[in-house]
Amino acid sequence: MKIFDPTSSPTPRALRMAPAPARLEGARVMLVENTKFNSETLLRKLADRLGRTHGITVGGVHRKRSPSHEIEEGVIPGLRRQADLVISGIGD
Amino acid sequence: MLSDPVALIEAYYAAGYTDGLPVVPPTDKSIADTLAAAGLRGEQVLGEIVSRNTVVTAEKAAVNAVMAGCRPEYFPVVVAAIRGLCHPGFAYHGPASSTGGSAMVLIVNGPIAAALGINAGNNAFGQGHRPNATIGRAVRLVMMNVMNTRPGLLDRAVLGNPGKYSFCFAEHEDYLWEPFHVTRGLPADASAVTVYASNSLYQVYNQLAATPEPLLLCLADALANLGSPNLKGFNESLVVLAGEHAQVLRDNGWSRRDTQRFLVEHARLRLADVKRAARLPGEIAPADEDTWRHVFEAPEDILIVCAGGRAGSWSACLPGWGKKWTRSVTIRIEEEPS
Repeated sequence: MKIFDPTSSPTPRALRMAPAPARLEGARVMLVENTKFNSETLLRKLADRLGRTHGITVGGVHRKRSPSHEIEEGVIPGLRRQADLVISGIGD
Repeated sequence: MLSDPVALIEAYYAAGYTDGLPVVPPTDKSIADTLAAAGLRGEQVLGEIVSRNTVVTAEKAAVNAVMAGCRPEYFPVVVAAIRGLCHPGFAYHGPASSTGGSAMVLIVNGPIAAALGINAGNNAFGQGHRPNATIGRAVRLVMMNVMNTRPGLLDRAVLGNPGKYSFCFAEHEDYLWEPFHVTRGLPADASAVTVYASNSLYQVYNQLAATPEPLLLCLADALANLGSPNLKGFNESLVVLAGEHAQVLRDNGWSRRDTQRFLVEHARLRLADVKRAARLPGEIAPADEDTWRHVFEAPEDILIVCAGGRAGSWSACLPGWGKKWTRSVTIRIEEEPS
């Protein structure tokens, strides 16, 4: 008898990374908040610190539907227009 | 190639393919029979978890279903459940990966439940019935082996719960009202599976209540205790009414909507108590002592199904995972014409 492999590997998907800003100084930043408790508080503190140390400006906060949901595709072009970089990614 | 069955089972353990229990080693024939029972070809895609770049093919689902101990005729239920997990509304990544350690509860409705012998009666959540045990197990094995939801990796459960091995039961459709899948817009003669993420099971006891109000106060209290994940705000929750409690509602002419409304109104805590227990931040203001914090927004946030034995004063509450971060999904089961 043979062993059947019940597993699958994730399907590789080509990703094109946006170029990182050459410098943070004066960058426009958008925050993407995932609705976890204190998520927005922590992101704003981080942005405040980057404002003091690197002179970034925060254009606003986008609130995701939930941590489980991906960011809506339609939101991304607006973020791209309004910001040089986005800060996100809050866990527990 | 192995001929010793025990060695074969051990080989599946060694490869990391099991949930901790021994698996049934698949064969070409058992996989083919399983696919045929759902009228599927191996390469067909059942669904995709986009955030994980993961697709679930019928072949991989069938291999896992055989390993779980499913008979081929169970496979259409497994397939529908997988489609539910992959539904965007279910938002798989959260409930599957969370520290909350949710079981994926499968509620089966319609004629397929009786045809397969899926238990809806005594010990509906417990052991002893092959389809209940193996259909839920097959879905969990697919989650582990195909969707990469492995403990310690993309399954970050702090404690987990035993329902993560398997949690599948049928609704006892004779007890009350219209069957649950009819509330989801399906005809009564259709078969369906509802996929619902819950991180605990709370059995609720009341032997004396002869009218709905005192009985439902007990259920409301179970839905809104201080340790409940529901307090984070506006979850979905599942209430499972067994025979005696269902009879109290039936004898008093209460509808599903009456029951949901009562539970929405009474599943609440005083804001001051919530703050005392540090479930919300902030100082306790005098007005907080008389301010209610309700844990459900709308009647439809409380899913009510019937299951369990006809005798005995028990029902159950199963809090939902997350704050509307996932929603239960009902999928019609496509059966092969016989």
